[in-house]
Amino acid sequence: MIEVKLHDIGEGITEGEITHFHVSPGDVVKIDQPLVEVQTDKVTAELPSPVAGTVKEIKASEGEVVTVGTTIILIEKEGSVPTQDKMPEEPLQEKQEKPVPAAQPERSMSAVQSMTRLTRRVLAAPYTRKIARENNVDIEQINGSGPAGRVTEEDVYQFINGGQEQVEKKQEGSSETPVSITKAAVETKEIPFKGRRKQIAQKMTQSLYTIPHVSHFDEVDLTNLLDLKKSLKTADPDGSKGMNVSLAAFFVKALQLALRDYPIFNAKLDEENEVIRLEGEVNMGIATDADDGLIVPVVKNVEQKSISTINSEMKELINKAKTNKLKPSEMKGGTFTISNVGPLGSTGATPIINHPEVGLMAFHKTKKMPVVINDEIVIRSIMNVSMTFDHRVADGATAVAFTNRFMHYIENPAAMTLELI
Amino acid sequence: MSTAVKTQKLTMVQAITDAMATMMREHDNVLVLGEDVGRNGGVFRATDGLQAEFGEKRVIDTPLAESGIIGTSIGLAMNGFRPIAEMQFFGFIYPAFNQIMTHASRIRSRTLGHFTVPMVIRAPFGAGVRAPEIHSDSVEALFTHMPGIKVVVPSNAYDAKGLLIASIEDSDPVLFLEPMRCYRSHKLEVPEEKYTVEIGKGARLQEGEDITLIAWGAMVDVVKKAAKEIEQAEGITCDVLDLRTLYPLDRDLISESVQKTGRGVIVHEAPGTGGVGNDVVSLINDTSFLHLRSPIKRVTGHDTPVPMFAIEDHYLPDAERVKQAIVDTVRF
Repeated sequence: MIEVKLHDIGEGITEGEITHFHVSPGDVVKIDQPLVEVQTDKVTAELPSPVAGTVKEIKASEGEVVTVGTTIILIEKEGSVPTQDKMPEEPLQEKQEKPVPAAQPERSMSAVQSMTRLTRRVLAAPYTRKIARENNVDIEQINGSGPAGRVTEEDVYQFINGGQEQVEKKQEGSSETPVSITKAAVETKEIPFKGRRKQIAQKMTQSLYTIPHVSHFDEVDLTNLLDLKKSLKTADPDGSKGMNVSLAAFFVKALQLALRDYPIFNAKLDEENEVIRLEGEVNMGIATDADDGLIVPVVKNVEQKSISTINSEMKELINKAKTNKLKPSEMKGGTFTISNVGPLGSTGATPIINHPEVGLMAFHKTKKMPVVINDEIVIRSIMNVSMTFDHRVADGATAVAFTNRFMHYIENPAAMTLELI
Repeated sequence: MSTAVKTQKLTMVQAITDAMATMMREHDNVLVLGEDVGRNGGVFRATDGLQAEFGEKRVIDTPLAESGIIGTSIGLAMNGFRPIAEMQFFGFIYPAFNQIMTHASRIRSRTLGHFTVPMVIRAPFGAGVRAPEIHSDSVEALFTHMPGIKVVVPSNAYDAKGLLIASIEDSDPVLFLEPMRCYRSHKLEVPEEKYTVEIGKGARLQEGEDITLIAWGAMVDVVKKAAKEIEQAEGITCDVLDLRTLYPLDRDLISESVQKTGRGVIVHEAPGTGGVGNDVVSLINDTSFLHLRSPIKRVTGHDTPVPMFAIEDHYLPDAERVKQAIVDTVRF
């Protein structure tokens, strides 16, 4: 009996949520056939079957969070003799009709196919291979014109001199009349849709399909905050006292204060139990653009932290996210999410909520703009914000009020200090 | 400034006689022994005149007992003599095989180098002279597989003299195989004085670009003919190698040539299975694999005893078979 356990499918993953079983007890499985889909903080992965055999027992349920090392499925290996007490009491003929033997040719077929795929044998004499190697040419890319499709020395030289033409012919792999289109026009590239990308897709789809999203936009005047930031920096020109604080740290603090007043946006909807659960602590998710795609580290308990602590923790988390060093615990437990796209240059967006949270705010580019204040046109630094919320949980008026409260703190940083612990 | 070397035109068998006479004149401890080698001058006249010149004590007629000839030679060699034992035909060597295998080839290692066996076993060999059964065998591979013994095969008069002298001077046993077909097939200018051709070194008889032809003994002439004809007919130029020594093989010459041409055909008259050609293929594999443009081909005798003379020519590789192999290899 083979035990299929949850293994560490990512870097330091300790647990995963079983999202879907592809098999049921009694199913005959082939080697490498996907058995179960597990979602971790980083990826959604399919655990393949290590052996060919029959699924005997499923030891976990969908939705269950299991730790690494937990046995999820028991598989009886093909060809192994079942223990006496479990021997089925069916007549022999019926037993022969069981799907196990029928699966054998299929298995060997797929083994052969995968072998062919993995090791495409190019016919070529050693000397031909030598020429290809010396010219840094992948001999598998060359179309052989020799007997039985053998790659000849001439083919290699033609490939080296003739550029990509050969590749196309090879990859098309058909004897049809070649279409005279330039290579650039016909080339198709494939990016595997799996890992982080697939997980992002699933989360976004889940969020957008279950949450009725509403976004509204506003403009916030950053002039005072920028002045404050500048004066802090002037007081600490070399940054040794940690007073060079990013705007985002102020945004996080201001949001936390606003969330204290409008806790409905720091909540989770538990449909099953028909309850909206207002979270006590504010754990701020920071949407971060890493090489592999969007990832959201979480600054925990911002209600207990100073702006400068938030600033340094945020910097550290973002750095970890970009270098793929985040621990799963550093991506969990978010209650509200911000997306600071301003530095990248956007002026508006309709962000998707980080399910199962209720709200998300995006900060856009800050521009100096003529603004009318006290019937005078003055130049102020204006930033657009986009606020998206779950309309099942809250309504537009509350969302606008929440956004206004946030803007109040940003536009009057002095007022913010009064609220600080 | 060049010194004039006095030469004489000799057949290969005359060159062999000359080599023995030269060494016997120079060294009193060089002896010749075998069946009919004395008064009769040997079955192929290779020892003709030697008994007259050096006497019965140095050119000894032995009983018809190959094992005894070799056993005696081993004892003589271990005690300061340099015996040259003649097998009337290579195919008669089997009774002596045990002496060669168990004693001659291993006394050096058995005595940790205290004793060596500086003897030469001469044996006419090969088919193509219409000899009866057993007389035409080409079983050189039996001896290249035997550590401790060198196997030398000249293909012409000049090499025969130089190689035989080198063999007599060698401190280990040397099996000196004389292709019967070459005994009198041509004459060459051979220096009258003593000279040696180094054991373990092959010869490049012809330079070419497209393919390396490797042969020894009587097959060298076959290969040379094929090379000439294929160049005229197809414009394929051949590097022609005469190995001259089958153990040890001339690793450098073979690799250098095959690496230049990227192709090779090995020709020998012995049966293909277990033949020395296989060792040459292995050597090429080891040294020159990435240079190969096509598989190395072998043209060999068949896996049968050499047949009776009526169909002997069907057994032996000829220029036509060699040319076909060249074409197959070059056009691979």
